[in-house]
Amino acid sequence: MKIEDVFSSRLRMKILKILMQVGELNVSEIARRLRVNYKTTDKHLSVLEDESMVKHKVFGRIRLYMLNESSPKTKAVQSLIKAWEHANKQ
Amino acid sequence: MTPYRSVFKDETKLDINYVPYRLPHRDRELRLLMEFFSFLLRTPEKMTQRIMITGDVGTGKTALSQRFGAEITREANKRGTNLRSIHVNCREYRGSLFLILHHVVSIFHPNFPRRGYSAEELLGILLQVLDDQKAHVILTLDEFESLVEREGSEAVYKLTRLQEMRLNKPQRISLICILRSLKVIEKLDASARSTLQSNIIHLKGYSKQQLMDILNDRVSLAFKSLTVPEDTASLTAELAFSENGNARFGIELLWRAGKYADAEDLDTVVPECVRKAASSIYAVMRKSDLALLRLHEKLFLLGVARLFKESDKAYASLTEAEQAYAVICEGFDVQPYSHTQLWKYLRALSALGIVKTEVSAAGSRGRSTLISLPRIPAYELEKELSVLLQKEES
Repeated sequence: MKIEDVFSSRLRMKILKILMQVGELNVSEIARRLRVNYKTTDKHLSVLEDESMVKHKVFGRIRLYMLNESSPKTKAVQSLIKAWEHANKQ
Repeated sequence: MTPYRSVFKDETKLDINYVPYRLPHRDRELRLLMEFFSFLLRTPEKMTQRIMITGDVGTGKTALSQRFGAEITREANKRGTNLRSIHVNCREYRGSLFLILHHVVSIFHPNFPRRGYSAEELLGILLQVLDDQKAHVILTLDEFESLVEREGSEAVYKLTRLQEMRLNKPQRISLICILRSLKVIEKLDASARSTLQSNIIHLKGYSKQQLMDILNDRVSLAFKSLTVPEDTASLTAELAFSENGNARFGIELLWRAGKYADAEDLDTVVPECVRKAASSIYAVMRKSDLALLRLHEKLFLLGVARLFKESDKAYASLTEAEQAYAVICEGFDVQPYSHTQLWKYLRALSALGIVKTEVSAAGSRGRSTLISLPRIPAYELEKELSVLLQKEES
């Protein structure tokens, strides 16, 4: 997927920001924070996971999503978000 | 205005949650615990252990388990074993196995969802989490009675037999169950009981001399030098001894006495401060006990306290208490609970020693439950509950 396709979604950016803040969350909780339904959230998570930007662990019926810290793409996005928020504060 | 003076050097050392590095007169039990769990330092994956610690209030059960947890964790980590000691007060989680296990899982995964699975599934999840992190846990279930009373044999059985469901896999969870007496275990069925009762460490109430040693230790940690005369420590130990050798009572008494000394701007904590403190403190009515009560338990107890405060009677019937509770509920704008629920609350309050209940003597028509407050002045109880309820409202 091209970079513009991944970042063209506001929800995907929000997911990355949320996971950066809290570490790991299940799909329902991410959906609740995004104020969208489960299916939409799951779809966006799949896109991010296909790009290796997030990963998940399964505990019984629970899927916990987290950033894939070993991915260079994730590292780049983390730096971008940090720089962006830092600049906004100034 | 004169500058603020205090006899305290560090009053947090008298806090109920403080665990001292040295536990006077519990070295033997500490060593015994270390022996029971020494396999965790050598072959942690090969076995697990189940221990019960029993003893009255203030005999050092919680402090012993926490000190042990800290020491064995330190030793294990030195040897590269990922060992976690997790202390859970079952009553804080209303004796619910699900809530207790969720608390444990959330130590490893802080945002773990609260819904969508059963306690049994959660137990499986916990084992998976521990496998995932190659971790071992010593789970200390304090106030274990609460879990047994709410969940019965099933939960205890699940907890103690969980390893049998996963043969040939590394062992992960050892248990320490803390309870006041073994009576509650008798309620369990034979199979659940047999898994628990193998290793029991019973802590006897402290003697006066032992209490003196404990209090002297705390004095040196919490008070400035020479502010607590020996007479004061001795009187405090005497009073704590009369409360069945309850060290916690003695330590709380010492803290209060220090507060009285500060309030009167004294350089030393004189015995009179202890006497004043003793008249304002009741060991059976531990603040922590009251704070952990549910909202309607507190409202019901407040009703009972008001009932006794406003009358000279030594006993009140459950019906009278229910009426007083209904009035309190109206004041707090909440719907009162039914008779059956209140009856359950009354039993719980009685088990905690806050109230005493007895069935009215034969001869009168029918049977009714009589409630009394044997050791707690009604006005003290009312004051404490009002403060707690106000906090809860805000």
